[in-house]
Amino acid sequence: MNFAFFEVFDVYLLEAVVNGILLGGVLALMALGLNLIFGVIDVVWICYAELIMIGMYGLYYAYAVYALPMWIAAPMCIALVAVLGLLLHYIVIRPLLDAAPINQLLATGGVLFFLQSFATVAFGIDFRNLGIRLPVLAIGEMHFSYARLLAFLAAVAGMVTIYLFMTRTYIGTAIRAIAQDRQIMVLMGVDSRRLYLVTSALGGALAGLAACLLVLQYDVHPFVGLSFGPITFMIVVLGGLGNFIGGFVASFVFAEIISLGGLYSDLEWGYVLAFAFFILMMFARPQGLLTRRS
Amino acid sequence: MSLRMRGARTGQRLMGCLVAVLAVLYLALPAAAEPKIKIGVIFDLTGPLAGGGSELHHLGVKIMIDRFIKQGGVEGYQIEAIYADAQSKPDVAINEAVRLIEQEKVDMVLGFFSSAQCVPVAARVEQLKKFMWITTCISSAVLENRNLKYVFRPQPSGAQFGELSMDFIAQNAKEKFGKDPKDLRVAIIHEDGAYGVDVARGNESGAKKAGFNVVLKEGYSATAPDLSALITKLKRARPDVIFHTGYNPDITLFHRQARENGLKFSALIGQGAGYGVYAKLKEGLGKDVNYLFDVDPISIWNTNKQVLNPKLPPLIDMVGEEYQKAKPETTIRSAHVGMAASNTYVFFTEVLPRAIKKYGGIDADALRKAALDVDLPEGGTMLGFGVKFAGEDTPVAGQNLRAFPVITQYIDDNSYVVWPKSQAQREAVLPLPAGTTYSPK
Repeated sequence: MNFAFFEVFDVYLLEAVVNGILLGGVLALMALGLNLIFGVIDVVWICYAELIMIGMYGLYYAYAVYALPMWIAAPMCIALVAVLGLLLHYIVIRPLLDAAPINQLLATGGVLFFLQSFATVAFGIDFRNLGIRLPVLAIGEMHFSYARLLAFLAAVAGMVTIYLFMTRTYIGTAIRAIAQDRQIMVLMGVDSRRLYLVTSALGGALAGLAACLLVLQYDVHPFVGLSFGPITFMIVVLGGLGNFIGGFVASFVFAEIISLGGLYSDLEWGYVLAFAFFILMMFARPQGLLTRRS
Repeated sequence: MSLRMRGARTGQRLMGCLVAVLAVLYLALPAAAEPKIKIGVIFDLTGPLAGGGSELHHLGVKIMIDRFIKQGGVEGYQIEAIYADAQSKPDVAINEAVRLIEQEKVDMVLGFFSSAQCVPVAARVEQLKKFMWITTCISSAVLENRNLKYVFRPQPSGAQFGELSMDFIAQNAKEKFGKDPKDLRVAIIHEDGAYGVDVARGNESGAKKAGFNVVLKEGYSATAPDLSALITKLKRARPDVIFHTGYNPDITLFHRQARENGLKFSALIGQGAGYGVYAKLKEGLGKDVNYLFDVDPISIWNTNKQVLNPKLPPLIDMVGEEYQKAKPETTIRSAHVGMAASNTYVFFTEVLPRAIKKYGGIDADALRKAALDVDLPEGGTMLGFGVKFAGEDTPVAGQNLRAFPVITQYIDDNSYVVWPKSQAQREAVLPLPAGTTYSPK
């Protein structure tokens, strides 16, 4: 009897699929805030991963250095990055709202290097670790990380919350309206500056949430953003800039290609395939996997 | 006023000016005449490689340079060091080396942590006909078949790292694992830069020699955000021993995900870089750091002082004291600091004085000739090995042929040399004791 079929669909394949989903959750969490900002303000925060890095340091210092309990440290970290998001908008983005997109991109790119250098000077170059060892979920031969499960659940919860906020609340409706037509809404008496500030704080808070979950899985150092920044940006583009659901779906597609590609070939090939898929989709669907509804 | 008086006053003024000029010249002369060697030192002080070990090498070099500056230089030459940051990027390393040579007018460059930087920088420095003294990076690709005239490396090569670790397991296969080498399943994983690829090449050739069953060999990017697919493959391949070459934080990411994904193995041999920074490993892995191995040149604090040149032990103590002053929180002193200090010391005691005295100066040719003359027997350096560089027209011109790494094991917050037997401080704990995180039992 030929068992080749079952050999292909072995337990390790299943583990790789689930790991892909969990990695997708991590990526989706990061893409969510970036998408929100672009969808509403029409500006790409290239420095988004660096905001997450600052949040990771915030949590590290609050929890590991000042020994605050996690239930205080985590909300503090989220609030810290939300304030950073506000400041970023107030100081850097607002003066450039009517400037060419390339100027906005360069400005947030400058903030990226500023934050990396700031972290190097302020926190040093050492790798920091929270020292938390979360238990492992074992199902037969398969093992999964609780830290990743948490990130996955947070991504789903964040996605649902943002969706409900945008569709069921007055301010969410206003944000969606201003995202559709900046000029008209201002003429109708909507205070766009306030809405942009709310959106920036929300985007920052989502980065803070991502920081709280990433710090459970990765060491913190000033350049940790390099590992995630480019991939997150690609996912947001793949999903259609500003399209939450598109970004969410793209995260999982990207993560599965990395995970399964890495299982059946060299790990590096997983990334090569994911990037090749991205390039292909830029030709086939330049507006994103799911077209942005505007 | 008579003409004579006016003439006398003018004469006095002229004489005054002359005395002043002579005084200025007198004061200026010693400074202008005092010879000086300007050294460009390049390491990664920012970026991921800084915390991965580069900054510790910078510290080791600085401790030694400061020591020679304090003693008043070498053979009448003052020493001036200009430190540069390669920012963990090869392009920055090249630009900094060229800037130091062309704008700062340094006489030579020294340092370099990453092999990915060493390979292109060595070619550029050679092109500029300047002397390069590599204290750290180990990839064979830096020197092999390149016939570089001005580039010298007292360090062992990456291929040696890979071969030594395989030999260690081969010699212990039967006794410790109860298996013939051909039945031992080994996996080779490595970061995919020049460093990881070279060590893996040594692993591969060592595995072939030993007759191991290589069940997986794979590279990955040191900045990859996820290694779980690699770990799933390792689980499927079921290796007894894993040979890992990485920087940091990929090493901690690998171990963390290995634990979370339930990977089991009987031994893991780390090969340099991130595995040489115990404090960071301990912080990232906690108790799982216990029984890990690291291949590196010996930590100078672990060398057998009985076999060393008697003038070296006080220097080892001095390096240790300065290290503690710079990093008081250190528990286990990293081998990295001693490695850089020792290799720098060899330059200042063996190459520089010989170049000045025997070859009349510090230009690249004088330094090259002096380096080729170095002939230190085993025990002649703080790292225990001797120094003799391969000459021109040999496949590894510039490589120290007497350098060798050792294998260290971390046990209960101490590090012990366990291989080769001639250097061993204790017997290795092999395989992983039952009940430990990665142990199959």
